[in-house]
Amino acid sequence: MKADTLRALWKYPRQYRLSLSALLLAAYVLVALAAPLVVPQNPYDPLQIQAWEASSPPGTMGGGGYIYLLGTDGLGRDIVSTIAYGLRLSLLVAMTSTAIAAFIGLVLGVSAAYFGKWVDAVIMRIVDLQLSLPTILVALIAIVTLGPGVDRIILAIVIVQWATYARLARGVALSETGKPYLDAARLLRLPTWRIIFRHLLPNSIAPAITLIPIELGHAVALEATLSFLGLGVPIDKPSLGSTVANGFQYLMTGQYWISLFPGLALFALIASINFVGEDVRRRLDPRSRSHDV
Amino acid sequence: MTYDIAQDQLLVVSNLTVKHRTATSATTILNDVSLNLQRGEVLGLIGESGAGKSTLGNAILGLLSADFERTSGTIRFEEMALDRIDKQQWASIRGRRIAAIFQDHTASLDPLMAIGRQLEEAILATNDKTLRHEARDIAVDLLVRVGIPDARERYHSYPHQFSGGQRQRIVIAIALAGAPDIIIADEPTSALDATVQKQILALLRELVEETGVSIILVTHDMGVISDVTDRVVVMRHGEVIEQGVTSTLLDRPQNAYTLELLAAVPRLRLSGADVKIRRASDTIGPAVQDSGAPSREVPILVAQGITKVFAVSGLGWLRNGTRKSALREVSVELARGAITGIVGESGSGKSTIGRIIAGLETANAGKLGIDGRQFEISCPGRRSGLLGEVQMIFQDPALSLNPRMSIGDTLSESIRFGSRHAHDPKRDVLSMIGRLRLARTLLARYPHQLSGGQKQRVCIARALLAGPRIIVADEPTSALDVSVQAEIVTLLKEIVTEQGISMLFISHDLALVQELCSSIYIFKDGRVEDAGPSRFIFGHSQNPYTRSLIDARPRRFTH
Repeated sequence: MKADTLRALWKYPRQYRLSLSALLLAAYVLVALAAPLVVPQNPYDPLQIQAWEASSPPGTMGGGGYIYLLGTDGLGRDIVSTIAYGLRLSLLVAMTSTAIAAFIGLVLGVSAAYFGKWVDAVIMRIVDLQLSLPTILVALIAIVTLGPGVDRIILAIVIVQWATYARLARGVALSETGKPYLDAARLLRLPTWRIIFRHLLPNSIAPAITLIPIELGHAVALEATLSFLGLGVPIDKPSLGSTVANGFQYLMTGQYWISLFPGLALFALIASINFVGEDVRRRLDPRSRSHDV
Repeated sequence: MTYDIAQDQLLVVSNLTVKHRTATSATTILNDVSLNLQRGEVLGLIGESGAGKSTLGNAILGLLSADFERTSGTIRFEEMALDRIDKQQWASIRGRRIAAIFQDHTASLDPLMAIGRQLEEAILATNDKTLRHEARDIAVDLLVRVGIPDARERYHSYPHQFSGGQRQRIVIAIALAGAPDIIIADEPTSALDATVQKQILALLRELVEETGVSIILVTHDMGVISDVTDRVVVMRHGEVIEQGVTSTLLDRPQNAYTLELLAAVPRLRLSGADVKIRRASDTIGPAVQDSGAPSREVPILVAQGITKVFAVSGLGWLRNGTRKSALREVSVELARGAITGIVGESGSGKSTIGRIIAGLETANAGKLGIDGRQFEISCPGRRSGLLGEVQMIFQDPALSLNPRMSIGDTLSESIRFGSRHAHDPKRDVLSMIGRLRLARTLLARYPHQLSGGQKQRVCIARALLAGPRIIVADEPTSALDVSVQAEIVTLLKEIVTEQGISMLFISHDLALVQELCSSIYIFKDGRVEDAGPSRFIFGHSQNPYTRSLIDARPRRFTH
């Protein structure tokens, strides 16, 4: 009786939270795609920025004929526009790196399982090594070695994330390699690439696919962290994380809006990706469906 | 059936209908099933997969899961209506009055608890007045009763230290702990070898004679039915097709389906005259070899002195250098254009030799020649030259097809990468599936949409389309229902004759091997125990192990 009431109480906000997240995420993607059309300013274009309007508080009427709804940053860039353009960059980096990491991780994990012996040993020891270090440390080392730039950030996130996919895919592929349909494939003397890509991979990726939505949220957060530390995207093309970092020095002087609003946008983005991702994972993965509502 | 007549019955199931509900539909699993069980009787429940026999067993035990619903009918046990009692009342019945034995003896025992403790636990749970120190003596008695040697010494051993047959004996001892009136045994011997199966069935029969317990024996095996049951209920698609006294029903079945089931059971023939009649009507057999062209007498495949050692896995310092040999100096020859059989119980190395011949596994020593060409079988590389010379048909058709590839894709892959030159691959695939009596519409489907028999046909088609001269069939029918099994066996026979393929047929079933094979190897503990033409093995072999295998067959199905 009591458990039922509790569950009913819990159930409603959960669905509500999910649809809110989904809606928010859809809005984010839409804004990111249509940024030049929906915001008044291109913050990457120096000609559109007036330096004397730097650090204007929210609601100031700008010289361009539009109101700075959330104010401007230390260089005079409109915060609303910066958020929209930063969002583009953050999502682009996160999605590209997640896709590449998933592909590389799955192929390496499945290959480790198929070839076994030293191939397995080498791949999995690298995975172990990497999973034993804190993600941020691995990413920092990667960025410091590779240098700054959007492509380098993507590479750094791939380096951090592929190991998780590899470990999961290897486990599943190992249980598949014992099955006779793979023996039959070997008996046909199929080329190795065909056995891996046509037979082993399609039957081993299902559990790893469920990781993607969650890892996407991690990728956004990681990119923001790196950018916040000044190791991410270039200064003239700010992502959400670097915009927060840019405003950091102004916090003490009361110009809260430069950091606060991009920070809130980032928070809501990661939260919505995680909620939607968790739901997608639950729907994809039958094992977790049974003991969840 | 009225209640008056059923008064002396221990258990009466009347007009039981059970449905399985999913979110969208309801399937009838049991339809109007009625049966009764007398005290001290062994009642057999036989049917092919999907007949509803296990559901009936679970219904009697009150173990149906929530998605099953009893829509009508009653189950009466003595004076109690089992369909109407609550959880607490079940606690006084399940294990105490009605006990169960399941097929998987490994899963039935706790691997981390000594078997004596498990028995004690069962005894204390089912006997309120028994004290802990008494339980131990009772447990030892029970172990002795079910035939565990040195019961007192092995009291603290763990399940993995016993053989499969002994584990099933321990499970039976646990079932006996509460001194039940009824034991429901769901396929208790299906996971066991023939000789062990024979012993376990004999034990169940003894228990009935001695303790007066009644047993409901759920099985798909006619041999089990004929050996131990008093009465038998034949089920199909959730309905009782026929029931009666076992000997009468097996001698004079009234129903066409029962007749079909009986006809599908492979029979062992021991009398010489019978063998001759069979040979005359059969193109495969030693007769072909005897009278064939000289080239036929040269075996197509010769394997000599094959030795295979497995390193026992485990932590390095615990391993102690223990190695298990799977094959010791095994030599096998395959007759050209005929089926050669390998028979053995589990762990005899019969599958290992098949996989070595196919090139899927390497050997530690030995020579292998196909048509005079020697192959390296001990190099550990993944791609030995041998791989691809031989195709295989595997035991479990459900695992033998890539679940994410359509049947059409699977078959065309075989033709594309196989060793045969195909002018028109598409036509070849179509004619092959026509030959194997499969519908063309199957090509667009995926494995999970096919029945077990259909899947196994597809596997045979895949093996044939690759154009091999030799096929290794490893227990190709043991995962299938008997009626399907008969179809596949006929098909294999036809194909070997038509296409001139040589086949190695690996099986645990003597009757099946006799039906198919011209010569037979009998494997035991990784050695060839006995070998010779089929006629010799079944007619004249004096080898005690061969004799014990033949004797383990149910008598009714031996002529």
